[in-house]
Amino acid sequence: MKRHAFALVLLAAALAACGGPPRPPVLTATPGGEDASEAPSSREVEQPVDPGPDIQALRDDVAAGEDFPVSDPSGEGGPLADIHFEYDRATLADEARAILERHALWLQSRREARVTIEGHCDERGTTEYNLALGEQRARAALDYLMSLGVAGSRLRTVSYGKERPLDPASNELAWAKNRRARFAVSR
Amino acid sequence: MARSERRSRRSSPQFRSAGLLAAAALLGGGAGGAQQPDISRIDIGVVDARFAIPACVPRAPGEASAEACRTVRTVLRNDLEFPRLFQFVPESLVAGLPAGNPDAPSFTDWQGIGAKYLVVTRADVVKDELTVELRVHFVDSGQTILARRYTGRADNPRIFAHQASDDIMTLTQYRGVARTRIAFTSDRDSKGGRLAKELYIVDYDGHNPRQVTVNGSLNLLPAWTPDGRALAYVSYRQGTPLVFLAHIFEGRSTANLTGERANSQAFAPVFSPDGQRIAYASNRSGNMDIWVANADGGSPRRLTTTAASDTAPCWSPTGQEIAFTSSRAGTPQIYLMDAEGLNVRRLTTVGNYNDAPAWNPSRQHSEIAYTSRLEAGGFDIAVVDLASRQVRQVTQGRGSCEYPSWAPNGRHLVFSCERGKKWDITVSDRDGRSVRTLATGPGNNVQPDWGP
Repeated sequence: MKRHAFALVLLAAALAACGGPPRPPVLTATPGGEDASEAPSSREVEQPVDPGPDIQALRDDVAAGEDFPVSDPSGEGGPLADIHFEYDRATLADEARAILERHALWLQSRREARVTIEGHCDERGTTEYNLALGEQRARAALDYLMSLGVAGSRLRTVSYGKERPLDPASNELAWAKNRRARFAVSR
Repeated sequence: MARSERRSRRSSPQFRSAGLLAAAALLGGGAGGAQQPDISRIDIGVVDARFAIPACVPRAPGEASAEACRTVRTVLRNDLEFPRLFQFVPESLVAGLPAGNPDAPSFTDWQGIGAKYLVVTRADVVKDELTVELRVHFVDSGQTILARRYTGRADNPRIFAHQASDDIMTLTQYRGVARTRIAFTSDRDSKGGRLAKELYIVDYDGHNPRQVTVNGSLNLLPAWTPDGRALAYVSYRQGTPLVFLAHIFEGRSTANLTGERANSQAFAPVFSPDGQRIAYASNRSGNMDIWVANADGGSPRRLTTTAASDTAPCWSPTGQEIAFTSSRAGTPQIYLMDAEGLNVRRLTTVGNYNDAPAWNPSRQHSEIAYTSRLEAGGFDIAVVDLASRQVRQVTQGRGSCEYPSWAPNGRHLVFSCERGKKWDITVSDRDGRSVRTLATGPGNNVQPDWGP
């Protein structure tokens, strides 16, 4: 009898130790093996009469999301940021490399996305020279993306030279904005 | 590749004309590229993360789309406020702007009221399917930094907002928890004189509680599998407490996962972070000890060997260590040991009653939350820093609070507090700020576990 009561208190204590409504203090030691003869009888007493189902199935609600291409009226929308270039250069600065590394990660998780890399220039210099420079800038970005593992079949380049500036003003700020590669995503 | 070609083209002087060189010299050409931050990310602490979230604009006429739109926008706003990382343009300013075309926002207007990021949402309900569009714009340039479309059942618009919020959080350096759920135990289904405790799961914000166990017995101590598809728990439905595993979306459960025999009982199951092992407490050896088995219950092995009661195991983020409660020193205290049961050492030294450890899962914070009796009579949630061993109190003056569990990003805690005569699930930030009670329903709601 005493041992049976002890087992029940141990049970309550174990429950208590695991967190729940206020409970009595935890007991420390318990003699081993002495309760073996008690347990089967307590089990028979508590056997449920009607087993029934244990749990019910829950609905697994998901809102499946995917990126979609954006065509803003300005034509400048898109989830991939521009990179910029120094005057008359097509070399990638450290910031540009960092941005391209993120684009590569973004493209890795969106297998069906394809990118048209546009090369742009500021308004100084001739049309043909800037078309070539724009192409060099786009190629620089494309080569770096490929070196990061993006498949070449997903990329193409287009040069706009100085023909499609982002900012039509004639000052340093506008020119700096226009010396860029832009990444147009499609699928 | 084309690399060598391009290099020679670029450096070759044949494209240069004398006129161009002269022009360059005149204009002081060679201006360095402007320092452009990467606007495709929102790095908290680096950029000014001020959001404007205008009303959602339905894409289809009718009340169903309008209603879904309102819900999505409200829930998204709440989800983005929860982590306390962003600022928000006041509602009055947002509402004061002319409606305009949501697909072509007037960014100068938004700039004018101080918004740095514009969150545009649209929704439409067709039959019983809901589609939600989300766009996030960097206002200064108008550029879209996130554009996603979500489809699913129309009768649960909240989950669209939760998904959108977590997707916006991927732009930051933090992981969002808007899609996570909390499991807990409730006695609300007790009938007549017969006490029943059933398992429930609820969205992290307290909405959408759903009953998991339906067996009318005592079902306690739920613990999520790392993939969020199943719950281990303790059930008395076979008479003695045994560990069960419920595959909650399939409606099937495995009884007696740890293979206890006639005279032994199992409690406090908890999966390792890689989902490969399960730790639990069992009195199979004659007294309550910590055991570890494979996730399917195979190869159980005993870790603690003292005559004292050892219970409430929890895993470290690497799965290489286990914290647990032991009364071997006379009162319940938190101990640490490695996952083989070696190198046991005591952690808590403040207070004479410390129980139910929970190890912060993130790499940023090396700390363990636990239940502690710090003031006379009641319990509170405390957190001990593992490096400095400093203890901070997370709850105070909220009645008695117990049983902490961490959000998966380690930035929030869930626990249960008694106010008046009722226990309810309660959430706070890890420093104890922003405490809020979740209205999960009637009865006493205890033993929460924050799932993935």
